[in-house]
Amino acid sequence: MKVLILTSGVPFVRGGAEILADSLQGALCAAGHEAEIVTIPFQSCPPSRIPEQMLACRLLDVTETCGIRIDRVIGLKFPAYLVRHPHKVMWLLHQHRTAYELWEHPAAGDLIHYADGRVVREAIRRVDRGLIPEAKAIYTLSRNVSQRLRRYSGIDSEPLYNPPANATLFYKGPARDYFFFPSRINPLKRQWLVIQALALCREPVQVRFAGEADNEAQQIECMKTVRELRVSDRVEWLGVVSEERKRECYANSVGVIFPPVDEDYGYVTLEAMLSSKPVITCADSGGPLEFVTDSQTGLIAEATPQSLAERMDALWADRPGAAAMGEAGRQRYQDLKISWENVVDKLLC
Amino acid sequence: MAMHGIGKGSSAESRGLRVLIATVRVPFVDGGAEAQAAALRNALVAAGHRAEIVAIPFKWYPPQRILDHMLACRLLDLSATGDRQVDCLIALKFPAYLIPHANKVVWMLHQHRQAYDLWQHPMGDMHKHPHGAEVRDAIRRADVELLPQARHLFTDSRNVADRLQAYCGIEAAPLYHPPPDAPEFYGSAAEDFLYFPSRVNPLKRQRLAIEALGQTRTKVRIRFSGSTMEAGYYESCMTLARRNNVQHRVEWLGKTSEAAKRDAYARSLGVLFPPVDEDYGYVTLEGMLAHKPVITCADSGGPLEFVVHRKTGMICEPTPQALADAMDEVWEDRQSARQWGEAGRQRYSDLRIGWDTVLERLLA
Repeated sequence: MKVLILTSGVPFVRGGAEILADSLQGALCAAGHEAEIVTIPFQSCPPSRIPEQMLACRLLDVTETCGIRIDRVIGLKFPAYLVRHPHKVMWLLHQHRTAYELWEHPAAGDLIHYADGRVVREAIRRVDRGLIPEAKAIYTLSRNVSQRLRRYSGIDSEPLYNPPANATLFYKGPARDYFFFPSRINPLKRQWLVIQALALCREPVQVRFAGEADNEAQQIECMKTVRELRVSDRVEWLGVVSEERKRECYANSVGVIFPPVDEDYGYVTLEAMLSSKPVITCADSGGPLEFVTDSQTGLIAEATPQSLAERMDALWADRPGAAAMGEAGRQRYQDLKISWENVVDKLLC
Repeated sequence: MAMHGIGKGSSAESRGLRVLIATVRVPFVDGGAEAQAAALRNALVAAGHRAEIVAIPFKWYPPQRILDHMLACRLLDLSATGDRQVDCLIALKFPAYLIPHANKVVWMLHQHRQAYDLWQHPMGDMHKHPHGAEVRDAIRRADVELLPQARHLFTDSRNVADRLQAYCGIEAAPLYHPPPDAPEFYGSAAEDFLYFPSRVNPLKRQRLAIEALGQTRTKVRIRFSGSTMEAGYYESCMTLARRNNVQHRVEWLGKTSEAAKRDAYARSLGVLFPPVDEDYGYVTLEGMLAHKPVITCADSGGPLEFVVHRKTGMICEPTPQALADAMDEVWEDRQSARQWGEAGRQRYSDLRIGWDTVLERLLA
């Protein structure tokens, strides 16, 4: 089959969605199909420009190329998934989140701050409700995304899990004295919360952060918090690391901390499980909660510094317990039978 | 506290510009435009800038679709990415060059030729469509109105600049660029074939070459390479070769690797490149880089900016007989063929075609 993957992107920014699109393309080609990624540039600010970009997507014609039929398109991201095609399947990574669950979020909300933000929000919601059901089948990245789609747009869908990139290369090593927290540094990943928790820990907990800050202001603020709370000697910032180094950091950690705000899916959870490490997450973290079972494959804290500090202390002090939960996580990953073959079968069926 | 450069906007990065290259993409079809966009991006990155390609899907039939895609391009916003501005937009192809930007530089590969030089042309078909004329007018209006909004306007070749002047009254400067992997080309001893590398399609006129083969005095052989994806035309070429009883003198390599292509250039006696009004044409330049004479036609466009008749190749009328005569001459006079090839290589050097020059002018 000739398959197009429809996604939106911000030029110069590469994140999980880009990696997922690449992996999907690879999996489709490995299964003998021809697949290409169409990335429509998307700029969400100012909001008044969003409806025009939605319209732009509706205007593009990808039904054929040079007289040859395109058999299937797979829509991943807003607004690219609005592109019309008689054989469109949705694999929704997420909707435009600040028009939905992040509308009022103090750090992430953006539309809410604009005079026309509410109008744009309603336009986005109307379009999603009306046009997402055009697809022949609707899959999502996770149960969390499916639940939001049900709650806000009244649309049913099926979660379809995918493995992290290079899943087979993760491994388990001896636990050294640190927790690992790999993620882009921004308010939604809540590195701040972990730093505050660190100041409350009784154990000499160490945290190793990897990842890049979304912008300089966030980086500066993060460093300031560390200094103010006098935990400089307890944190390490690795910045951007190679995939190999990342796997090594997972392998040698005591456990992984991943407390984001309502994460769509979260490869970090799965990567930790693949490395046989327990995961500390929060009750409002979304995606990770589909995989972490409290006290069995990790610990679930309330999203407060105190609660998180308690879980960090507990895991730090009980190394045999941490190792056992890590093993259970590895087992759970296996039981889930997450594979690209399954993803491709579902999306093309 | 250990601290290894988290965050973006380090000083090394902030020296360069943030540049987007806007082009269109026909899914699953690779051609010269893709290679040019990628080479431009690589050149920008090598010069210390951040550069990325934005490729808008394009489908040009039925003609009304073109209007939709033009509007889509006008609606996109590439002024900034996230909270950082895009310093420069370099736009290559229609309709992507219609995307608005305060600092847009158009480096036009070509306009939508069906609305211009291919209108009422046997190779075009927009004029046959009931809404063809309206769409043609809309395209021309958009070009005339919106192209002058660019801060600078360049074209790939003199040929494209001349068309833009003739049809739209807009002035633009030709800006040549090297073919991909230009330093990798080499010449070697001539073997018994002429090389014709191009996508197999009517505008490249492989059929003309096969017609000509039927009228040569000598036993000229042609080796063709390039995608045969376009339905019908390749088959018609094969049928014609059999009908003219020259099928044993043609060879079809199909889509080859770049290395195989360079090898074929190097070992050829000469290069055959008789397209219809080509915009620019890497083939000419690649032929020159491989020290080979280039045979082209008087209506071939771009190649005529480089080929000097009987100095670096031959220019003939686009008829089977004239092309047959030119091929015979190169086939028989190996001495001249070799000299013209060497002169072509020298001419390439004299033209100083390079990415340094291109960036200097695009970002001036």
